[in-house]
Amino acid sequence: MNSPHIPKHIPSEGYIPQSRQREKPRKDYKWIGKNMKRVEDPRLLTGQAGYIDDIKLPNMAYAAVLRSDRAHARIKKIDVAKAKALPGVLLVMTGEDAKKVTGPTAQFASPPVVQYCIAVDRVRHVGEAVAAVVAENRYIAEDACELIDVEYEDLPVVVDPEQAVHSTGDAVLHPDRGPTNLAYRKTFSFGPVDDDFAKADRVVERRLRWARSGAQPLETVGAVAEYHSGTGKFTVYGNSSFVNYVGWLVGASLGVPAHKFNLIPVTTGGSFGSKLFTHKVLTLTATLARACGRPVKYMEDRLDNTMSCDNHGSDRIYYCKLAVKNDGTILALKFQVIDDYGAYLQFGYGTHGNSLCQIVGPYRINSVEMELVAVLTNKCQQGAYRGFGSEVTNWMVERMVDAAADELKMDPFEIRRKNFIRPDQFPYVIPTGNLYDSGNYPAVMDEALRIADIKKWKDIQAKGRAEGRCIGIGVATCQERSVFSATEFWSLNPLDTPGFQLTSSPESTQIRIDPTGNIQVTLGSPFWGNSPETIATQIVAEQFQCDPGNVNIVYAGTDSAFNSTGPGGSRFTVMIAGAIVGASVKLKEKIRRIAGQMLESSPGDLEFRDGKIGVKGVPGMEKTIGEVALFAHYFRLGLPDGDEYSSGLDASYVYDHPLTTMPAADRSHLGIFYPIMGHMCHMALVEVDPKTGKVKILDYVAVHDAGTVVNPMTLAGHIRGGTAQGIGSALYEHFYYDENGQLLTASFADYLIPTLDEMPAQIRVGHVETPSPFTEYGIKGGGEGGRMGAPPALTRAVEDALSRYGIRVDELPLTPRRVRSLVRATEQRQGRTPGI
Amino acid sequence: MKPAAFEYVRPGSLNEALQALSRHAGNAKILAGGQSLVPMMNLRMLHPAVIIDINRVPGLDAIRTDGDALVVGALARHSTLRDSPIVAKHCPLMREAYRYVAHKPIRNRGTLGGNISHADPASEMPAVLVATDATIVVKSAKGERKIAAANFFIGLMQTALQTGEMVTEIRIPIAPANQGWAFEEAANRKGDFAMAAIGATLTLTGGVCSQAAVAVAGMSDRATRLSALEALLERKPLDDDLIMRAAVLAKSSVKPDSSYHADVDFKRDLAEALTERALKNARARCK
Repeated sequence: MNSPHIPKHIPSEGYIPQSRQREKPRKDYKWIGKNMKRVEDPRLLTGQAGYIDDIKLPNMAYAAVLRSDRAHARIKKIDVAKAKALPGVLLVMTGEDAKKVTGPTAQFASPPVVQYCIAVDRVRHVGEAVAAVVAENRYIAEDACELIDVEYEDLPVVVDPEQAVHSTGDAVLHPDRGPTNLAYRKTFSFGPVDDDFAKADRVVERRLRWARSGAQPLETVGAVAEYHSGTGKFTVYGNSSFVNYVGWLVGASLGVPAHKFNLIPVTTGGSFGSKLFTHKVLTLTATLARACGRPVKYMEDRLDNTMSCDNHGSDRIYYCKLAVKNDGTILALKFQVIDDYGAYLQFGYGTHGNSLCQIVGPYRINSVEMELVAVLTNKCQQGAYRGFGSEVTNWMVERMVDAAADELKMDPFEIRRKNFIRPDQFPYVIPTGNLYDSGNYPAVMDEALRIADIKKWKDIQAKGRAEGRCIGIGVATCQERSVFSATEFWSLNPLDTPGFQLTSSPESTQIRIDPTGNIQVTLGSPFWGNSPETIATQIVAEQFQCDPGNVNIVYAGTDSAFNSTGPGGSRFTVMIAGAIVGASVKLKEKIRRIAGQMLESSPGDLEFRDGKIGVKGVPGMEKTIGEVALFAHYFRLGLPDGDEYSSGLDASYVYDHPLTTMPAADRSHLGIFYPIMGHMCHMALVEVDPKTGKVKILDYVAVHDAGTVVNPMTLAGHIRGGTAQGIGSALYEHFYYDENGQLLTASFADYLIPTLDEMPAQIRVGHVETPSPFTEYGIKGGGEGGRMGAPPALTRAVEDALSRYGIRVDELPLTPRRVRSLVRATEQRQGRTPGI
Repeated sequence: MKPAAFEYVRPGSLNEALQALSRHAGNAKILAGGQSLVPMMNLRMLHPAVIIDINRVPGLDAIRTDGDALVVGALARHSTLRDSPIVAKHCPLMREAYRYVAHKPIRNRGTLGGNISHADPASEMPAVLVATDATIVVKSAKGERKIAAANFFIGLMQTALQTGEMVTEIRIPIAPANQGWAFEEAANRKGDFAMAAIGATLTLTGGVCSQAAVAVAGMSDRATRLSALEALLERKPLDDDLIMRAAVLAKSSVKPDSSYHADVDFKRDLAEALTERALKNARARCK
């Protein structure tokens, strides 16, 4: 390892812990790095997976929810008499009723913002639950919702985040938390910001606006809950990704201990980074089931989801300053960010904690200052959506770098290359204290340029421009932090109310080998739409040098799983690899011991090869894993005494975060919390119709470095999917609230997800592999990748396409209306169409 | 998103359908393709007491010619019309406009009769029918009426249909062989409702415009003709300059409403840009 780069304001002594990597990266893998077909596919593609909505319990009833049509109002009175009288209705529950039996929903803000699964006393956004009905079927439940009379007293509606700072009186959403909608305001400074700005030749300034969007999996959030009064225990089927991380918190809301709440994961019909918690639906459904004494299913319909989910993404305004030298050297970044969290604060300021792990991008930026202004407004709460805030700062940093390039008249590729952290500078600690473990940024850009064939792109652009067409090239070089540490959730909290300062984010597995030698792997995290089984299978096959067909994956609920966090923060592949390696090492030791007895050899002389274990250098002197397994299960008396020979072959292992440290007490740095650092270079070639504002993607290249790649095919699919979401955030999607707090884009007629027709004909993907020195095999996470690079690449491409109009793009999404309004402003200023 | 309870009636003939419509006057909705009706029922924007499903009424989906008219049965599916050689030959404007209509699964079920009865102002087919001076044939238990397309669309999702009436066929004058046509549309995504759409037909006689029809959709509460623009074009040599003037006139003569996706200024810009493109394309197709 090189000597690390550590900024002067961070005490360097012992700052970077020793690596705990056991499996070094190699070149001769048998299964890792292969394009193995997904083992999940057969059941998914033949419709046999079984989702929440396929679950039918005996005597099950169905819930529907009446939602507020007001953005902000006091609930004066709810008359449920007519609804209750409707034949087939079993239960009508208001917030007042629910509060008597179920406490506030789980949340991480400190000081807390109290939220219930059904609104109590007042509604704070359109779509908030006002009452729930359980009936013999969903039709009757919805009929009954229409019969509920709610008397509201309207309150002033707060929509504009910059205005929200000044709210007073009845416009304050949570008066119990203080007389303001300003949830939090604090400046965090990392390194000599003022000195660096004093050294600058130029300060580039921009106001940037990132619009709120969210993932739209085909399956919404749902739950089936059953309460057994004889045992006092809930059994709940859910589609949360964090089953074993937060299941117990839902139990806590319901007032039962964790062992009285078994949350069973069900195959998820897509998450796309949106189904991390799903706690509102779990809490509500379990509350209803206990109250009506029958199993209850509640499946959000699309409007339930868009108006009241827990995955609306970041909604930010940035005022940025970038200190640069005339030669293009970037010195420092300073910004104020106003984030519109909506009506509740589920994750506190975690999305900004997250952002700060890679706030300098891939660049040598010496110091950073952030003023965080978090506000509450009458919109659906924010939650976790693919990127968790860092997709926004990637866009912001890349916008600022492009702005600097424009002001300095530099080539966008050149300014990036000039400021890249060099391959010989890793491990590299950035001003906020986070570590970048490894990287080779020039190599990623070179590969992107090669795949794109930049000369060809420039020819297309020149030819098109000669014909009067608006063709642009955009590039983004972004970080792809992976393997979150839980400190990101609270490190920015007020020092006097630090909240629940959790530091664990482990992943676990149990591996059992049955008497026939087949390997069963239990995951403590659910299937959320990706390839957890494929990845786990490949790593297990690599560990045991066996055929992947001999590996089977199952999922554990909260009753039986060990400590697991779940997919999120691009962590799963790294973390499950760590857990599998840990369990496999234990298990292989036992197999060696037993095989040593069977082969009358020393365990140290044995090796795993082709589904067998045998004496090194002696072909044929070997036993199959099946032979050893049968012996281990059923021939105890053939082995010596001692617990190390006890019957059976199983091992479990809890893998903790491979590299994380505590933030400084005064927050002069935040410690190491997101160090497994991937990287990407996205390049877009677009054509813009300046008259209609329409953007067409002509070509697209995405090269990612996710360290050692377990399965290039599934990773490429992941990159393409994330890029599609990035295209959505950049060009189409917007949860738009009007001045009355009405969500004008609640349905898919108005919330515009890019479809096949809007996608480029192909997204050309490349992989560069810079292994991590800290994780097993050197794997890095790639979970959120595409969405973290596409918005800045596309934004720049559109700006470049419209260069003759001299426009600047400071706001997303780039809908035809917005693009045309930018062009129109130039036309009106110049009195003609430039350049044609 | 479940509909409120309703009674379901499935007549086996047009007569039975009209009788049912008469019997449930005011409380019934006709179910044809259901591509707008069913979502509206699921969202409980509509609570019809009775649904009269006309999908089993024989002969209502015919596409044929009758003298100088192309006759389309109310139940003809968008997909059928889109791929019909008879439509391509006799109403090429409709064929062109179908490039922009919805997505295949929707076109497979959706019908022309249902589409115009729903009268969404951003829908393409009303503009086609207004541009081509089509006639809408409607029937009730009492008899038949023929309504000019221009008089059929009377407001936002409002038609001249009276209680007890349903659309049975659409009669479109066969396009002269020398006529040019074009349909241009701006939508956020392929298949979305139009933010603006222009349908045009032109006839040139020795380079001079002898006939012009220009209809606009997506702009206000219904599809309309731009008659001032047509008057500007007629009896003049159809050069680029005239087309540019027509486009500018389109911009100022449309009366756009505003929505989240397209505000007034944007719609005016689109009217100008699309008019220019439509007229140029139509001119190129004139024989």
